[in-house]
Amino acid sequence: RKVQEACCYEPTSIRKPASAAATAISDFDEDDFNTEFVRCVLRVMPVKKSEGVGEKTVRFIGLFLRHAIDKDNEAMGELDEDASTMPETPGTRLTGHLMETILPLLTAKDKFVRYRSTQLISHIINSLDAIDDDLFQKLRSGLLKRIRDKEAMVRAQAVLGLGRLAGNQTEAEPNSDDSDDDAASGLLEKLLEVLQNDPSADVRRSLLVNLPILPSTLPFLLERARDQDAATRRAVYSRLLPALGDFRHLSLSMREKLLRWGLRDRDENVRKAAGRLFRERWIEDCAGTPAPAETGQPAEVSPPNLDALLELLERIDVVNSGGENGVALEAMKGFWEGRPDYREAMVFDDHFFETLSAESVFVVRTFNDFCRNEGNGKFESLIEEKLPEVTKVAFYLERYIKVLIDAIKKAEEQEAEEDDEEEDTVEQEFIVEQLLHIALTLDYSDEVGRRKMFALLRQTLSIPELPEEATKLTVAVLRDICAPDVAGEKEFCSIVLEAVADVHDTIVDDLPGEDVNDDESFHSARSEVSSPSTPTRSGKSKTPELSEEEAAAKAIKEIMINMKCLHIVQCMLSNVSGDLQQNDHLVAMLNNLVVPAVRSHEAPVRERGLVCLGLCSLLDRSLAEENLTLFMHFFSKGHTALQITALHILTDILNVHGAQLLSSNPTLLKVYVKALRSGAKHPEVQAAATVAVSKLLLGRIVSDHDVSAELLKTLVVAYFEPASAGNQSVRQALNYFLPVFCFSRAENQDLMRCVALDALHTLYNVREGFDDDDADVDDEMVSLSTIGACLVDWTDPRKCYSPPSAGGGSEGGGDAEKKLVNADVHLDFARDILERLGGNAPKEEKKIIASLLGKLYVSPASSEDKTREVYAAVCDAVENQLLSDATSRNALYKLHVGLGKIVNSLDAAAEGAGG
Amino acid sequence: PTEPTRQRKEKQPFEIDFAAPLDPAVAEVIYTQASSNSTISMPKKDWKSKTRNLLPDDKHFSSKQLLSLFLKPKARMGRRRVLGGSRIGNIDAHR
Repeated sequence: RKVQEACCYEPTSIRKPASAAATAISDFDEDDFNTEFVRCVLRVMPVKKSEGVGEKTVRFIGLFLRHAIDKDNEAMGELDEDASTMPETPGTRLTGHLMETILPLLTAKDKFVRYRSTQLISHIINSLDAIDDDLFQKLRSGLLKRIRDKEAMVRAQAVLGLGRLAGNQTEAEPNSDDSDDDAASGLLEKLLEVLQNDPSADVRRSLLVNLPILPSTLPFLLERARDQDAATRRAVYSRLLPALGDFRHLSLSMREKLLRWGLRDRDENVRKAAGRLFRERWIEDCAGTPAPAETGQPAEVSPPNLDALLELLERIDVVNSGGENGVALEAMKGFWEGRPDYREAMVFDDHFFETLSAESVFVVRTFNDFCRNEGNGKFESLIEEKLPEVTKVAFYLERYIKVLIDAIKKAEEQEAEEDDEEEDTVEQEFIVEQLLHIALTLDYSDEVGRRKMFALLRQTLSIPELPEEATKLTVAVLRDICAPDVAGEKEFCSIVLEAVADVHDTIVDDLPGEDVNDDESFHSARSEVSSPSTPTRSGKSKTPELSEEEAAAKAIKEIMINMKCLHIVQCMLSNVSGDLQQNDHLVAMLNNLVVPAVRSHEAPVRERGLVCLGLCSLLDRSLAEENLTLFMHFFSKGHTALQITALHILTDILNVHGAQLLSSNPTLLKVYVKALRSGAKHPEVQAAATVAVSKLLLGRIVSDHDVSAELLKTLVVAYFEPASAGNQSVRQALNYFLPVFCFSRAENQDLMRCVALDALHTLYNVREGFDDDDADVDDEMVSLSTIGACLVDWTDPRKCYSPPSAGGGSEGGGDAEKKLVNADVHLDFARDILERLGGNAPKEEKKIIASLLGKLYVSPASSEDKTREVYAAVCDAVENQLLSDATSRNALYKLHVGLGKIVNSLDAAAEGAGG
Repeated sequence: PTEPTRQRKEKQPFEIDFAAPLDPAVAEVIYTQASSNSTISMPKKDWKSKTRNLLPDDKHFSSKQLLSLFLKPKARMGRRRVLGGSRIGNIDAHR
């Protein structure tokens, strides 16, 4: 506090006596003043970090010195800015004196002295414009040592001062000689190393905001967007990136990455900061407001500007980032949310729709999504107001589909110089996709619009050139237009299958000389697919006049068309849920298109046929049963992607038709177990299997106890074993699944208890196998006691969700209830452990499981019989001195005491009741 | 030469008494140097971080993945899509 007071009269009087000993309150000379000043500063050195006074004083000292030097310079009059040597003044002498005194304290034994001295020096460096060269070197080397200080707080301060020094030197680089350059880059390098490696997030963050932003440092700074510490990640978005100036200087891929990382961060505050960056800063860069001066706030928010928004979207490459799962969707959702001014300002008139670009169509698509899905319908009026009706949308869609198809055909014709054309069709494709996305959300109660759209899409679907994503969306919209009931589903199927037939007929149409075998195109489909696929033979047998080349082209064409048909069918089947046998169209399609495809000699056709067959199996149980072996065959014989497909199909079948298929089919269980253990060779398969098995367990699809136990144990092992350390898909899925599974039902928790010790035993062996030859096992695998603690935690009955008891109505009773949770699970766990301890497990393993005894939860709410039974077993163990080492014994005693109390009170209650 | 001096009352705050002579004990704290560089430095093994303190790639696993079918992501697991509420008006379309 006195600091401020001193401040008041410091500028006028105190400073002057220092400089001239003239206008003094008392006439001490400069040396006396300096000595006294330093003496006072020393007093600050031992002040603890938590005392705010310490920092205030340090700030004061910095301010004072700066002021003193400024005044000195003023008094000396204009000085040569380029002068290589600094003029010596009373202010600099004082600074020098002070620094010389403080420097040795940097290596004091007391951590607070180191902290304060480092803080002071760094602060002074940051307060002053220039420092004497000799002094500079000393400070630099003094601080450099402190970036390896034991205390994070000291490192954080050292880094503050050095960041400035590093910045200064690089600025001066052109003028300074070589040695200086090296020193500077050496310093920067060191700091960048600290930025990456310092264990303290505070240190990293402090560097992040204090390092100079240079081409050489930027990649390191941006990398912190993935820092382990959420506050540091946030600082990238809320401090570094806004300070960076125009985002357009970043590379395209960097922009996309930063946006994706930020908007999908696991921490909400990071997501918010990233969202704000996008909708407030980046748009501003495009809107053309001059970047605010370093100090100033963003001067004025520019008025909504469609061109700026379009540019922003172009700058994040919306054609690529705006696809499904692309980050541009999230970015725009946040944009509409946070920018009501833009919401209001949008005009989607005829002109807008007539001149759609990838960017502008994305604007209207995300606007439409936002208004329909957010704010509980309060934005729906905006849609009424701004968007055209169904008929018009259909009209525009028709127009852009035509443009797209024309472009594709043109591109095919002149494949030679495809580059430009390619790009063009990509954008046209994107536009059509976005319009279809809008079509997916429309209300088709308007009959005129509905008919128009229906006819358009039916017709569109028959175009063989229609790209896959657009096909998928077209089918989805068609499903929406048809009624949601069984009749609607039939109508939908027949319409789509008509289109498939049309597409198929193009094989016939496009190939002169091919005889039209019959009217039913599905029959022709079968004959095409199942006909021998070697081009020469098919060519000879049917149309001998075709040259070899032509025949090959024809075969390829056939495959393409078949692939296309299968794709449409696949899209259709994903939208169908009725009974297969009840739908003649589907039965015909299955027999004439899908089954031949599965038997095809062409791998791509066969694989796509497989997916369709899988989808059909979801609609018909007997079909699923018949083909189970086939799907398993594809799993065991297929390549990685096919294995994953097979797993997906099998899992979906089990989910839809129930687990009896699994119980009646022991080899199927082996498929899963094998897939779960395939991590070393096929991490993707293991990942797919992890999710698949998680679904089966969580959805209680698997009911058989032994089967579920086997699967759960395999999952637990996979979670901890080093083999999966690099497989983040597996780890993260299990990190989610295991606790959710355990805590959602008491039965699940008990299942976990059943497998816990087996799993631990397996993991013990895994670890043993490693210890000898691999010292890095600690990096790859957590300790067994940590694993044990996890298992105890997962089985902790207090954490398990219990359905609100039927009788108890009040929700506030939670606390009281929580204290009295039935802990049978842990009692059983204790019994399991004691059993193992009596067995012949390795000594080390026994030690680990024994220590778990002390962590178990005991409760008077457990069932009496079980409590007594386990207590008896514990007493036995105590009496027989089952455990030899002290730690294990202590854990046992703890349980003994805990249970003893409960048993005593049970006894007392029994007596009370009896007597 | 006693520029920053006297502190006043207020909830007995932490004070630095600049006027008082330096307490020898405090002086010792200030001037005692560390016995060696290593005692005040970070152990060398902490200088490098294997992960560079970065997060692993986020897979964005969510409950949605556990509740939907692989092949038909739109359909929720465990129950078939409820058919009915026909626009055409025939509720008994099931036959």
